[in-house]
Amino acid sequence: MLRESYPFAEDSFSRFPSQSNIYGLCQAGEQELLAATLKGKVLCFRYQELQHKIRPVAKEVQFTYIPVDAEIVSIDAFNKSPPKRGLVVGITFVKDSGDKATPFLNIYCDYEPGSEFNLESIAQSCLNLELQFTPFHLYHTEVQCDDGGRETVFLLSGHDQRIHLYKENASLHQFEEQPVERLFPELQQLPSNVLWLDMLSIAGGRRLSAFGCQNGCVGLALVNQTGPEVLQSWRFQFDSPISSVLLFPLSCQTEPNQPGGEQSVEMESYNLLVTSSIEMSVVYRDVQERGLSRSVCLSESDQWDAVLCALVIDLDFDGQKEVLLGTYGQELLCYKFQPAGRGRDEQFQLQWRRSFKSPLLSIIYLDLTGDGLRELAVLTLKGLHILQHSLTSTADLVLERLALRVSALSAGSELESAKAQDTEEKDAPAKTEESTAPTPPT
Amino acid sequence: MRSLNYVQRVSLDFTGTLFPHAICLGDADNDCLNELVVGDTSGKLLVYKNDDSKPWITRTCVGMLTCVAVGDVCNKGKNFVVAVGAEGWFHLFDLTAATASKSDSSSQHEFMSPDDQKPLFTQHIPANTKVIIISDIDGDGRSELVVGYTDRVVRAFRWEEPSDGSELGSGQLVLLKKWLLEGQVDSLSVNPGPEGLPELMVSQPGCGYAILLCSWTQQDSNSSGEDAPATPGSEGPSRDVVLHLTTGRIHNKNVSTHLIGSISKGSKEESYKCGLFALCTLDGTLKLMDSSEQLLWSVQVDHQLFALQKLDVTGDGREEVVACAWDGQTYIIDHNRTVVRFQFDENVNAFCAGQYTCKEGKNSPCLVYVSFNHKIYIYWKVQLERMESTNMLRVLEEKPEFASHLKALGVDTEDPAAVRALVANVLYKDSQT
Repeated sequence: MLRESYPFAEDSFSRFPSQSNIYGLCQAGEQELLAATLKGKVLCFRYQELQHKIRPVAKEVQFTYIPVDAEIVSIDAFNKSPPKRGLVVGITFVKDSGDKATPFLNIYCDYEPGSEFNLESIAQSCLNLELQFTPFHLYHTEVQCDDGGRETVFLLSGHDQRIHLYKENASLHQFEEQPVERLFPELQQLPSNVLWLDMLSIAGGRRLSAFGCQNGCVGLALVNQTGPEVLQSWRFQFDSPISSVLLFPLSCQTEPNQPGGEQSVEMESYNLLVTSSIEMSVVYRDVQERGLSRSVCLSESDQWDAVLCALVIDLDFDGQKEVLLGTYGQELLCYKFQPAGRGRDEQFQLQWRRSFKSPLLSIIYLDLTGDGLRELAVLTLKGLHILQHSLTSTADLVLERLALRVSALSAGSELESAKAQDTEEKDAPAKTEESTAPTPPT
Repeated sequence: MRSLNYVQRVSLDFTGTLFPHAICLGDADNDCLNELVVGDTSGKLLVYKNDDSKPWITRTCVGMLTCVAVGDVCNKGKNFVVAVGAEGWFHLFDLTAATASKSDSSSQHEFMSPDDQKPLFTQHIPANTKVIIISDIDGDGRSELVVGYTDRVVRAFRWEEPSDGSELGSGQLVLLKKWLLEGQVDSLSVNPGPEGLPELMVSQPGCGYAILLCSWTQQDSNSSGEDAPATPGSEGPSRDVVLHLTTGRIHNKNVSTHLIGSISKGSKEESYKCGLFALCTLDGTLKLMDSSEQLLWSVQVDHQLFALQKLDVTGDGREEVVACAWDGQTYIIDHNRTVVRFQFDENVNAFCAGQYTCKEGKNSPCLVYVSFNHKIYIYWKVQLERMESTNMLRVLEEKPEFASHLKALGVDTEDPAAVRALVANVLYKDSQT
């Protein structure tokens, strides 16, 4: 029963020369992925169109200034916030030359007009920063600048119990470390090494910011971005290292049992998913109002070893997001939110699970094939799996929804034509004919 | 080359060792659902059913089993299990009764009388067997048993019974013909010839094959006695053997070669005439040809291919060619030369592919790997929607209503970005319009 609803089919698998880790996968641009492997190799994965066929291609990208004895820790990439253009790639690695291991952060970006998005040329223009700490999670987020503009910055957590901020210096055309307190006052005086960070901009110029630590501490803060000023902050202590934290909005109908549920009020609230290495994963509901007080456990999520990665996406196209967890026990779990009903509390129910051949490290949902439908990229210890939705059934769904739109449109145009019958006498019937004829399924 | 992972598998316990041809999938108990039949070197015949890791039925045979098959060898309208040992002992089992007795008292099967465990029939045929098939090779609509030998001989037998004898035990195998070949016979297969009549094909080293003619059809079976070409040594290879060597890059003239015929083309009428067959060699050549000797494609890989099977992976009625290498690399190739690769993570002792009833109570395409560590792995969910990677726009473009919907919504069909944005908008609530 569980497996029946698993909506994906594996489209491709690329085996990697060496293993990766939970920080080893990122999206670079619209339709590409970058995956870093331990032995200093970075692979770019995308679908290539050739002779009206598409095929998956995993190609190594030669990022400059990564020595042969380097071990890559984390990778991240982002597009600069408008009005600036260009792709920025950050790679942290540890160069172990025998006597002493030296950590580095390399930031790649090209300022040459025309090649800001060309990965090959970006890989050649490097800013090499030596670090005083062992790097962990490399994350990026958008901040509001003093002049009112927006800018995307790197945040890097380290084993020195601090988070470091790297921001572009516009006049020097390069990134530099800046004090984190000025832009992120909530990231000071951390209780332990931060393993995972997540931020989410919410209405009213505020942001939610969450981090999970090695000692099991989870921190959450509500911050007013202008200032910036910490409005409220919460901490909670778990018993084991936190593998990821994820902030996400979830909309649910208040009264799903009522007839005409489509019309009932939709409640959107912000939630925080916390996965830890030995405990059950937890979703804190409604965090901007209630902080870490209202928790819902994801039952059975501790059954397949440590949860290493998490993602919240709408994968059944019903407008409500599902929670995906990837575990070291080689399982991908999907939970769906069930609102509180008759005599039942709200809960996340396990919808399906799927086994993999090796532990899951990271998951991303993006449109790799360029058709508007997104694919699930799953990084495992052995390589990269691309899972595609069943195309036949999804295509049927698209046609069904398009037909609805067309009929809504023609209904609208009929009304209009009724109002102004003289002018559109000929047009409107033609339109309806067009739209109703193809609706019966073939 | 597209490569992917299959994950859903069951593992079966198998402690023995086996010959590569001592494994097959077939409906052993005539319940329309396929079982896995395995014979080991100590003479044990094991039949596995569903996802049970223990054998459903175990039988003991004489000698080292080199080949097993399931088929209507007696032309009685039901399948029997055939197990042949290297020493030449032919065993015939009827497992239909086993189902009945099992369902009667499932707990008591251990105490079945020894008589039930015995083969229905045994006969000694010439020794050094290597490979067998049960199929109609002369086009008379009745099955024959063809046995390939390690000494480059192929013999065809027919099950004959006295006309009055109704009991099965009264029949026996009668030799129809013996062919002597130049090279080792690694596989036997039957393929519809250009005229639509079945042709018996055997593989020959160096990516070659030979068609063995059934001379008794011409001679009207005047004497089907032992050793029809009495002195094969002096005569040389008889004219009943038509050798074909395929052209192309063959490094080694003696390289072991496998063959499989009657690869379904999808429609019934097409498959009857000019059948498709595939060849593979240990040095990595794969070829698909039809019986008029036309080459459809050829693929060169750098893995040692030792087993060749056919399997309809996409469910469109056309069978794909499945080749497996010693190191577990498996190639699935369709008629248009589209390749899908799968790496089984262990060395492979024996491989077969076909329909098997594993989990869902119905036959599904399966890949079966016998490992070297006492396990047989059955991948039971290997079906693919399609062989090639594609995206949804291509699927949608094939539907006429898609274009008309786009037109009604005022989206230009020639503008991929607009179409993509529309699809994303239709599917995802949070996407920008």
